[in-house]
Amino acid sequence: MSDVVMSAQAAGRRTRVRRLKGLGATSGVVILIMVALVVLWQVAAQRAWINGQLFGSPLGIYKAAVVGLTQGNLVTDTLTTLNETVLGLVIGSGMGIGLGLLLWFVPRVAGVTEGFAVILNSIPKIALGPLIVIWFGSDMTSKVWLAGISTFAVAMISSCAAAREVDQDLLNLFRSFKAKPGMIFRKLIVPSALPWIFSTLRVNIGFALIGAVVGEYIASQAGLGHAVFVAGSLFDLNTVWLGIIILTLMATLLSWIVQFAENRIISWKTKR
Amino acid sequence: MNTRNAPGSTMSSESVEAVSSANVRPDPRLTVAGLNHGFETDDGVRTALFAGLNFSVAAGEIVSIVGRSGAGKSTLFNLVSGLLSPQGGRIEVGRRADGGAGRVAYMLQKDLLMPWRTMLQNAVLGIELYRKVTRHDIARAREMLARYGLNSVVDAYPQALSGGMRQRVALTRTLLVDPTLVLLDEPFSALDYETRLALEDDVMALRQSSGTSVVLVTHDIEEAIAMSDRVILLGGRPARIEDSVDIKLSTQGPRTAVSAREAPEFRTLHKRIWGGLRSNTIHHTGAST
Repeated sequence: MSDVVMSAQAAGRRTRVRRLKGLGATSGVVILIMVALVVLWQVAAQRAWINGQLFGSPLGIYKAAVVGLTQGNLVTDTLTTLNETVLGLVIGSGMGIGLGLLLWFVPRVAGVTEGFAVILNSIPKIALGPLIVIWFGSDMTSKVWLAGISTFAVAMISSCAAAREVDQDLLNLFRSFKAKPGMIFRKLIVPSALPWIFSTLRVNIGFALIGAVVGEYIASQAGLGHAVFVAGSLFDLNTVWLGIIILTLMATLLSWIVQFAENRIISWKTKR
Repeated sequence: MNTRNAPGSTMSSESVEAVSSANVRPDPRLTVAGLNHGFETDDGVRTALFAGLNFSVAAGEIVSIVGRSGAGKSTLFNLVSGLLSPQGGRIEVGRRADGGAGRVAYMLQKDLLMPWRTMLQNAVLGIELYRKVTRHDIARAREMLARYGLNSVVDAYPQALSGGMRQRVALTRTLLVDPTLVLLDEPFSALDYETRLALEDDVMALRQSSGTSVVLVTHDIEEAIAMSDRVILLGGRPARIEDSVDIKLSTQGPRTAVSAREAPEFRTLHKRIWGGLRSNTIHHTGAST
């Protein structure tokens, strides 16, 4: 018996090791290509193959970063956008997920609510930006709202679906054990929806970031969106690139955090 | 169209009555009396699956219900397990020996183990859903898993284990709620032959250890004969009991899944039930045209 388990564990480990090795090789190639492109870009800008004014250059971006860190508001801007994004993501997705799952108790209400959520989801949320800014002002609140709205509908629709799509045979098993709805919710609906919830969260990182940045484009005093917008209107392309790079890193960092949480919470998926 | 005594039926109403009354046991763990149930198709035609079905299962008895697919086995399973309520008639689960309410627990071909629970956590699910799990329950679960040779994997997750091991955990989960009646729906058909014989023995051992009654729904005649005290052949539409066969095997030594299959009566019984299933097909299609 234990041999079977051990060999299964060993097999799991082997595939994981192989996957890691594969990952290492792939990311090595990716990094190599990226470094080559950056070098090419720098050379092209220096030799004036391309217009440095219109395209910026790696060295210029580095200088912009140093200036931003020592004299400018780079840190404040970054933290502002990070704050808005995370708050919007947590509040919007949290409410969406909570509501979506709880609607499992009332399937009839769920049908109606889901209809509204689909309509809300089909609105380009960015188009709501001016309204939100008028209602909530040009400070952080309006960006959190925009980021939150951008994530709410997606979270609700997918968690609603996750709760509905629960394995009917498992549901029947719970019913045959005379489980009360509260029990079924806690011990079956929520755990089986968790993988869906995490994949929704990962998608929503991008939506929240878009919400926050576009909100800053419309009206703001701080934030990376603000910095990019101002720099763009001044043709300071290096600062624009800097903002984009930081936003990308931010999205990656948030993805990692969600992934880490997922690995911790859904440990049964990896523990074999 | 399909009345109970449809022309072409091989059995007269008297013989149906006779078969039915032979299927009523004293002090039953399960009583199905005058069961009526049917469904309506999309075009509004009502089809009766059961019209006045009667049978009962005694304490500690193992009864198999065989029939061709579409005979209503699964519906009967859902009715007895309480997932469906009968449209007419009675389905009663008898009280346990100490007078407490009877409990039905079931097991399917799918083991229905939850991937986020360890084997032990899966095993105690049934208890957990109606009261707090005590240290005593855990000990009992560990003991039962150990009896099935699973003591080294109680903390493993289902994904890591073989189908046979998983199905044994499902059996443990079913038995830990102390059911008076266990319902099995083709529980072992996805397993390899050897594991299957072992699990059949596990189920047959229940009767000795706890007097649990078992109803096994299957299309595997061999399994039905090897495990049961009685095989009920379900057929026709509405489904009725076409035949009820008491299984008495003169096995060498104690009756096990293997020795039962080697008993001299095995072939004869197999032939009789197989013949019943086949003749049933003929007039089933005859009645539907």
